[in-house]
Amino acid sequence: MFIYSIKRILWLIPTIICVSFIIYALMDLAPGTVVDSMITSEMTKEDIAELRAQYDLDKPMVYRYGKYMLRLVQGDLGKSQVSGLSVWDLYTSRFPMTLRLALVSLCIGVAIALPLGIFAALHSGTIWDNLTTGIALIGISMPSFWTGLLLLFAFSYHIKIFPSGYNGTLASYVLPAVTSGFMMSASTTRQTRSAMLEVLRQDYLRTARAKGVSERMIIIKHALGNALIPIITQVGMMLAFSLAGSVVIETVFMWPGIGQLTIEAINRRDTPLACGGIILTLILFITMLLIVDLLYALVDPRIRAQFAPARRRKSA
Amino acid sequence: MGNEHITNNGLAAEGDIVLEVKNLVVHYVLKKETVEAVNDISFSLKKGRAIGLVGETGAGKTTTALSIMNLVPDPPGVIKNGTINVCGYDILKLKHNELKKVRGKDVSMIFQDPMTALNPVMRVGDQIAESVRLHENVSKAKAYERAVEMLELVGISGERASEFPHQFSGGMKQRVVIAIALACSPHVLIADEPTTALDVTIQAQVLDMMNDLKKKFNTALVMITHDLGVVAKMCDEVAVMYAGRIVESGTLEDVFNDTMHPYTEGLFNSLPNLENREAELEPIPGLMPDPTKLPPGCSFAPRCKYATEACSAKRPEPRKVSDTHTVLCTRYDDPSFRIKRRQSNEQHVS
Repeated sequence: MFIYSIKRILWLIPTIICVSFIIYALMDLAPGTVVDSMITSEMTKEDIAELRAQYDLDKPMVYRYGKYMLRLVQGDLGKSQVSGLSVWDLYTSRFPMTLRLALVSLCIGVAIALPLGIFAALHSGTIWDNLTTGIALIGISMPSFWTGLLLLFAFSYHIKIFPSGYNGTLASYVLPAVTSGFMMSASTTRQTRSAMLEVLRQDYLRTARAKGVSERMIIIKHALGNALIPIITQVGMMLAFSLAGSVVIETVFMWPGIGQLTIEAINRRDTPLACGGIILTLILFITMLLIVDLLYALVDPRIRAQFAPARRRKSA
Repeated sequence: MGNEHITNNGLAAEGDIVLEVKNLVVHYVLKKETVEAVNDISFSLKKGRAIGLVGETGAGKTTTALSIMNLVPDPPGVIKNGTINVCGYDILKLKHNELKKVRGKDVSMIFQDPMTALNPVMRVGDQIAESVRLHENVSKAKAYERAVEMLELVGISGERASEFPHQFSGGMKQRVVIAIALACSPHVLIADEPTTALDVTIQAQVLDMMNDLKKKFNTALVMITHDLGVVAKMCDEVAVMYAGRIVESGTLEDVFNDTMHPYTEGLFNSLPNLENREAELEPIPGLMPDPTKLPPGCSFAPRCKYATEACSAKRPEPRKVSDTHTVLCTRYDDPSFRIKRRQSNEQHVS
């Protein structure tokens, strides 16, 4: 399992090279540069040329990329060209905001999805099942900016109970977390339902019933224990996505997280900050997916066995 | 809880009837049709005895077994009629929370396919211990200890209790299933084709072990099988099922040596002959009737070489031949009627 993890982590290197190159290329192709906002009407042509030279904008893109990569391999993510602050410091100062929001939304999402999914599976084919899957379908179909705007409109504009953006209070978590949690719960509900349906017709549940296990424990312990494997993938993916900066939600709710940081950097053509932010997010995202994979082994002994050293494996 | 246990034990003394099935009718009601799986069967079983339910696939054996546990999948299964009494409990009338106390403790079941009968994400020791914990007021550690003992009893080394089902072979999984079923030493054990999914060499081992454990725990056994050899080895009584009815029942000697029903005769004739290996098998012609459209008279009449018009017209009534032997065949209305079972193939029970 250790070697497997190392292999997965090593794959990050080519991924980072490709991603950073693409970002540099795109930023170069995009109209405008970082100096545009620094130019004032008093500047002469020479001043502007000097300013451009300061940011190596007179040299080809490959030169700037090479210079960036040379620093990157030394572990230096560089400085923001706009504020002059270190990219790492900027990123880590914003990250806790994204993490907190992601965790709260995940809790909301799972708290909605698991009971609903199980409920739908237990009543499959009935009106309750249709109702639940119908709501989930709406959740999947609604884009998050639309759900977010609707909630803002209802609970911040008309009924003024929640703030429309982050103001440091717990109440400001409610709307973005509910929006994001609702989006997460939609697909997780469907996943839970189908995983439970699959498990509910397995023979070992009959064995458990024959032992005298109560119906409640059959669902919670025997069925859910087995249905967890696909559900964990779904939840892990959800967490990875929202950690990777729910750009849309952070923009709608003016949430000072890493998504917003990256968007601002791109808007200002602050290439090192955009690139650094995206690389860090990439590492985070891939690590999350790796953790999800390792969690499988925790839940499913059959997968664990594949990672076990050969001597522990007994012939079947 | 403790008192209840004692009354149960007192109830199931040697020779007492621990299982009684009366006029059981189970149908599977589907949208378009109704499958008449079990049609009016009755039998009873005394403590420590074994009955074999024999018949082809689709004869209603498994449905009968599931009914005894009240585990018939509903929907579509509907128990239309009948009573089932296990150790004084009216199984079909029990509420869920009473039923769960009886299941696993007074009556338990071994399922046909050990490959899928165990929870893949639970350690086998925990799966056995779960049963002990549910029915006996013991600590977690104590229950686990019992689980290890049970594993050793079924011939698996106790240290493997911490392993998962996928680490066991089919035969060993079935042993684990048996250990789960016997963990609380139930009065009645239902074994639904326990060896069908196993290969022949393992079959004999598992059957021997079951026989030993049955004697050790003095458990009444309902053995469901289509293998007459298994019946001869394990059972004291036999009930031959066909299309949801018991067509012939009696002691092992009654049914094996004094076969009365043409269907039972057919089953014996279709066995390979050990003494004369050249002899051709004599299969029963035709197929089992469609359980959604059972014929009005005797269900076996269309395949029966002795059948007369009367057989297809009227449903046969159970006929007591002796105290123990009952047959369901209209042809015995004629006192001179005898079946001609192939003598060379007779399996004598010692």
